[in-house]
Amino acid sequence: MKKLLIALLVSTFSFSAMADGHAEWWKKAGAPYAGTVIQGVAENTPPGQFAGEVLAKDFEKLTGIKVQLENTSWDQMYDKAIKDMEANSGIYDFVYIEQDIVYSYLDRDFLVNITQSLKDQPELVAPMVNMDDFTTFIDYFKDGSGDVFGMPMEAFVKVYLYRKDLFGAADAKSGFQKKYGYPLAPATSFAQWRDNAEFFTGYCAEKGMECWGTTVQGHTGHPASTYEFLESIGPSFGLYNWGVTDDFHSCVEGGGSLNGARAKAALTFWTSMLEFAPPESLQSTWSEVASTFAAGRAAQGWVYGENAAWIASNEEKSVVVGNVGVMQPPTAPGVMTQAAAGEGYIGYFDGGAYGIPHSSKNKEATLLWLQYIAQSEVQADWAVAGARITHYSTYDDPKVAAMDQIADGYFTLMQNTGYLYAGAPMYPFHAAGRAAIDPFTYAALAGEMSPSDALDGACEALDKVMKDLGYQN
Amino acid sequence: MNKVLYKTFSVVIWSLFTIITLFPIYWMILVSTRTPVQLYGKPNLYPTFLEKIHWKNYTRPFVDGVFGDYLMNSIIIATSNALLVTVLAIMATYALSRYKIAAAETIFFWTMTNRMAPPAAFMLPLFLLFTLVFKYGDSNLFDTKIGLILLYCVFNLPFAIWLLKGIFDGIPKDLDEAMIVDGANLFTIISKLIVPLAAPGIAVTALLSFLFAWNEYLLAATLTSVYARTIPTGLSEFVTTTGTEWGTMAAVAVVSMLPALIFLALVQKYIVSGLTFGAVKG
Amino acid sequence: MNSSKTAWLLLSPTIVILIIVGLLPFLYVLYVGFFNWMPLGKNKEMEFINFGYNYRELVFDKFFIDSVWRSIRFAIVTLALELTLGFLLALSLLSSFPLKAFFRSVHTLPLVIAPIVVGAIFKLFLVQGLGPIPFLAKELFGFKLNYMSSEAQAFWTIVVMDVWHWTPFVTLTLLAGLSALPQDPYESAKIDGANNFQIFIYITIPMLVPVLIVVIFIRMMDSLKIVDEVWMLTAGGPGYSTRFTGIHIWKEVFEKRTYGYGSAMSVLYLYITIVICWILYSVMVSRGKANEDE
Repeated sequence: MKKLLIALLVSTFSFSAMADGHAEWWKKAGAPYAGTVIQGVAENTPPGQFAGEVLAKDFEKLTGIKVQLENTSWDQMYDKAIKDMEANSGIYDFVYIEQDIVYSYLDRDFLVNITQSLKDQPELVAPMVNMDDFTTFIDYFKDGSGDVFGMPMEAFVKVYLYRKDLFGAADAKSGFQKKYGYPLAPATSFAQWRDNAEFFTGYCAEKGMECWGTTVQGHTGHPASTYEFLESIGPSFGLYNWGVTDDFHSCVEGGGSLNGARAKAALTFWTSMLEFAPPESLQSTWSEVASTFAAGRAAQGWVYGENAAWIASNEEKSVVVGNVGVMQPPTAPGVMTQAAAGEGYIGYFDGGAYGIPHSSKNKEATLLWLQYIAQSEVQADWAVAGARITHYSTYDDPKVAAMDQIADGYFTLMQNTGYLYAGAPMYPFHAAGRAAIDPFTYAALAGEMSPSDALDGACEALDKVMKDLGYQN
Repeated sequence: MNKVLYKTFSVVIWSLFTIITLFPIYWMILVSTRTPVQLYGKPNLYPTFLEKIHWKNYTRPFVDGVFGDYLMNSIIIATSNALLVTVLAIMATYALSRYKIAAAETIFFWTMTNRMAPPAAFMLPLFLLFTLVFKYGDSNLFDTKIGLILLYCVFNLPFAIWLLKGIFDGIPKDLDEAMIVDGANLFTIISKLIVPLAAPGIAVTALLSFLFAWNEYLLAATLTSVYARTIPTGLSEFVTTTGTEWGTMAAVAVVSMLPALIFLALVQKYIVSGLTFGAVKG
Repeated sequence: MNSSKTAWLLLSPTIVILIIVGLLPFLYVLYVGFFNWMPLGKNKEMEFINFGYNYRELVFDKFFIDSVWRSIRFAIVTLALELTLGFLLALSLLSSFPLKAFFRSVHTLPLVIAPIVVGAIFKLFLVQGLGPIPFLAKELFGFKLNYMSSEAQAFWTIVVMDVWHWTPFVTLTLLAGLSALPQDPYESAKIDGANNFQIFIYITIPMLVPVLIVVIFIRMMDSLKIVDEVWMLTAGGPGYSTRFTGIHIWKEVFEKRTYGYGSAMSVLYLYITIVICWILYSVMVSRGKANEDE
């Protein structure tokens, strides 16, 4: 508590004086570890790139500690991190912990208790870091007693993006009105989403444009599609926590709801959207969906927030700069009420943190690095580059406010409605459970199984995993 | 007339197959030289690399990124493995060829099963052994170059021995005996007599071992993470987060293919006997 | 000189290495296969339930058994295609025509390319929104080519890729076999007035049998092993449609972290391959004997 008070006191100083004072502190604190190289692994996302290319360089300049952040694909990131921690080989000093895998890591005791380590080594505590400035997202990385095991580095919500230019086109408006009998607008219900999708698919074809009605993150060989279903589509139809009960049953017969009516409605809607989605959708993970939208190939769609900023602003990679609209995704009737009451959620609050594996051989230097990225003052540029916000104070920064304008109020949306979204459920068997569902998601997307059969199979497979692993009684 | 027709027919058919073989490779090279924007829209088959090459696809992974290290790892691992295999195979083959050993047949068959076994069946035990069992203090074999160098011997030694056996058997034993009479020791016999006479075969063995180690993916992917990562495993890191990185992925694939092309020129004649274990002479 | 001692001395490094990285993993996987070991489970330690517990589960594991059949089906389909195509190409290479050496060199090219690179080549070639083939298929034939969209497309795409990669092996091996055939039987057959077709059926094929068996043997073993290129192209999807046994094991073991069960799968996979290998080997040996007797 004492260090927090000091931090609060310090933060009342003027910014420039603070920065200078900080530089001194980092130099001194880093001196014993100068020349150390710390190695990390993370998913190759805009926030990760910023950490590796900007923050790491700044940190090295100050402290002499070299941070090597390996940004790789999502699968590889897991594969490498888990193997390293399992083998205790000490290759990585810090690993990316996605919000949904943290319970697995804690369950297997992979991670260093950051709170405790800092308590034990007060000389490493960076006075300017205000842990209270973290948004509630940090709670996902705490254990029962409130100790932190991962330093949040990104958090965002999955939003509904639409093309303002297409939705605003006069001929589109009149054509839509004529065909459907109500005015064209971004979707606030799934029926409207469907109509929009169908309409723009036809509209684009008529005009000879390479675009379609909606994105679908429907890779038929990659877990991204299962995640899309469980974390975004499902919840917005009222399927929460994978439809798994407290005693770990997912089939309707056992009290679960993974093959319940809501789940089936969600999967039916989602797979029916493929008809109006660009052909690459069956090979799309989150990054391809973002690319599809940036290439102007879809009129609307669910897109991960981390990509919102570059899609809206980076003219080198995006052809829809200036035409990106952001909204909260639609929900089925009743879901919003449940979410507001805390009984459900409307979509995925995604993000991750950096944690230190027990096997790390440079824990002290890594603790400094993690605190460096936890400073409130490095957050704004990071938010602009990666559309991620982990600190309350970041919302008020003028740079972030400017980006908010360009990205059509994405940050405001996150600030105001963030509480309606939730992270993944606390399942230590997360990866195994998801892997059991994967083939059924793929089969449903490929049309090899009906949505109903696929979910019946999926819940059976998930139940078997939970039983085999000893969670079910 | 009939002959001319037949010849024309052969040329047409073979031209077709040549196009089928080369077209995908040509496309990959095209992709590797283009910017993301050039790849949007209709596929353009025109050789744009004649006009402008987007070198960033190559410099980004190999100069700015970690693929330079991966490339180095691949070179070190494949070269060391080829050398080790060649030396060990010369010794082992000499023993099998010159001495009567009771279990020779069994050893032969056993080494062959090693080669035929599916690597996927060994992936898990090797991972567990490398991480949990083969360790000394804090260090283990996981993610080490030496681990892969030793491991590839399992696949390369059998085939190297098979390949060399035929050649060594073809060198008359009288020559050995003549040297023994002159007082030469074993090392001299092998280095002064056997190696020079079998030089072409030994070179082929080394090159094919190199190629195998260079191309191996599954076990390298399972048993490495950062410090011993090879080019093929790096390539697979593009499996998902491609997004707009097709150009980079193609560039990495082109570079991983280069040694294969060089070797093709050198060992083309021996590829058949190499791949069939010498059961069929190419 | 104690010659047998020298021989063993020369062999020892080879044997030691093969024991450490070849035999030990085999014994270890046998051992682990008798345990329940799931780091993601409630009980994370190795636990002995009863003898053969994992194997009993495995025999009734539909997904594993399916993956084995899928691998076998794949091996047979590709073998049939590659053998037919390779044979025809090898025969055509027996006579001379312009540019033959060049064509042959290009034909050898796929053989030296790493499987994982072949996967990458085909991915770049076939992926929607980038590759020229889906585009051409749509423009020319109105066919929606999307290898991730259905089981059939995914499976046959992999088959085509394998044929592209390995037909040259069959061609070159059979060509080597054909070129080495003795000429006498042909001459006597011609004197007896046999036509080309008869010569092919009654002389070429029987004499080529040993080489054919080698080709079948090696291609079967390689097809049963396939992982890399499939992993790159489809990663086993869509659904289970291209989950060959190797990929199935990889997915099950490293995603679900089922070490005990995964070991049992590895052992059974190895066993199945060895059985097939042994059957083919016996055929090879008996044919070889039969040939010698003639």
